[in-house]
Amino acid sequence: MNHSIETENLSLWYGDFQALINVSVKIPDGQITSLIGPSGCGKTTLLRCFNRVNERYGNVTTEGKIEILGKNIYDPDVSLPELRKAVGMVFQRPNPLPISVYENILFGLRIHSPMRSLTRAESDQIVEEALTSVFLWEDLKDKLKTRATSLQLEQQQKLCIARLLPLKPKIILMDEPCSALDAKGTLAVEELMEVLAGTYTFLIVTHNMAQARRVSEECIFMFLGELIEHRETQALFEDPKHEKTADYVQMRYG
Amino acid sequence: MNSMNTRAERKQKVVLQSTPFFIIGIAAGIAAILISNAVKKMDATNIQVVSPNALSMLINDLYIVLSVSLLAILLGIVCAFYLEEWLPKTNWVRRLIESHIAVLTGIPSVLYGILAISIFLSYAGTLKVIEGAPPAQNTEAIPFQHHTTLFLGEVLIFIFMVMPVTIKTTQEALRSVATPVREAAYALGAGQWQVLTRHVVPIAFTRMLAGGCRAMARAFATAALLIGTYIWHYTTETDGMSNRFLLFLGAALFLSVFSSTLVEIHTSIYDSDSA
Repeated sequence: MNHSIETENLSLWYGDFQALINVSVKIPDGQITSLIGPSGCGKTTLLRCFNRVNERYGNVTTEGKIEILGKNIYDPDVSLPELRKAVGMVFQRPNPLPISVYENILFGLRIHSPMRSLTRAESDQIVEEALTSVFLWEDLKDKLKTRATSLQLEQQQKLCIARLLPLKPKIILMDEPCSALDAKGTLAVEELMEVLAGTYTFLIVTHNMAQARRVSEECIFMFLGELIEHRETQALFEDPKHEKTADYVQMRYG
Repeated sequence: MNSMNTRAERKQKVVLQSTPFFIIGIAAGIAAILISNAVKKMDATNIQVVSPNALSMLINDLYIVLSVSLLAILLGIVCAFYLEEWLPKTNWVRRLIESHIAVLTGIPSVLYGILAISIFLSYAGTLKVIEGAPPAQNTEAIPFQHHTTLFLGEVLIFIFMVMPVTIKTTQEALRSVATPVREAAYALGAGQWQVLTRHVVPIAFTRMLAGGCRAMARAFATAALLIGTYIWHYTTETDGMSNRFLLFLGAALFLSVFSSTLVEIHTSIYDSDSA
């Protein structure tokens, strides 16, 4: 099986605080993998390493190797825009850009292609395709000119996924994508992920263990910056090998 | 639709709130014209002004202040971009500059005036000419370069005065743009410049405008005082105390009304933005 993300002895410090300790992980291609663990255990940090959004915080030091699609992302010849084009990210709170729905979807393409290279017909088609694949087209086809921030939260989060699609990413990182949504919205996003898995590799951080069980094929348990266990979801939940995993998945703490 | 409504309301509010000030401003302008006519009627030989009357002086000053604030505001905005977006928060240069800017915004304009006199003007020797014998004998003697240094000194000191205010308000405006918006754009692969020009500046624009208004207001308010001192300097006792005083009052009123209008616009933009 191919692996789209591989890390070797990845350690990360915020100033003096070590947030990740020797994490080595291989994430399979075309599947949904979930990251679970108590708050502050480094799940989000690990996720943010994969498209180097972490670097914006300034005092971050990274050691070790991260290979994405077979390429070390800390090599000097890696271009950040290209990396972020291949590795999309969905955030905890839906964060559509405060422009129209239409422009939100095209924003990624516009910054990655030369000026005025998109014709009107092309962009119309791209918007329709992106919205259709997240099941928003029917709801939004008459509202393409409204500001994306005025949509319902669930629609905003789906839009955040939709705006990644025109860039044709290989990997989509999701940082607790459903924590701001209600049960119905959560279900909608999960269904969407299941439909899209296969075409894209999903890595999802979640606090909701039921969700991890429902959606993901493999599951990674982290604790205080260390990777404790990485197995198939079913096995991890039903027969945890490590004591800490057992404590966590059986809700003894966390 | 909702946001459209509030936007129109905001505009209306800004216009309504600033109208009285504009009316007073126009009244003050008319007053200034009347005063200048009065001055013209006075014996021409007794009024030794560099510019022949109050109106042209006012216009001259408005011209200086407007161009200077434009320059200083543009410079200030660029500085703020650099400090806020390019230098990391922990950078010692940034902390040093920011603390100095905080001090500079708090300094009263009189001190800037003293700075201007002590450095720019006395160094260039212009002060001697102004303080020397009655201007009657001296106006012809002021060579061209002294006028130029006077002008440059004024320009420089205005830039010193206006820039910290602009930098501070622009920085605050940039900070007010929520992190999720920036993160969203960065995560899609946008570069720093693209994020700044396409998202941060459009969102922060009203606040930056408000900051510009505040900076200009500061310049105008100080210019009102400057005009006062000009008039005192370049008219003589024989014009009559009451006339000199009227001239001073008219000019000062005119400029302070202008500046308070700007402050008013500034606060209403700020209020409507945060509401």
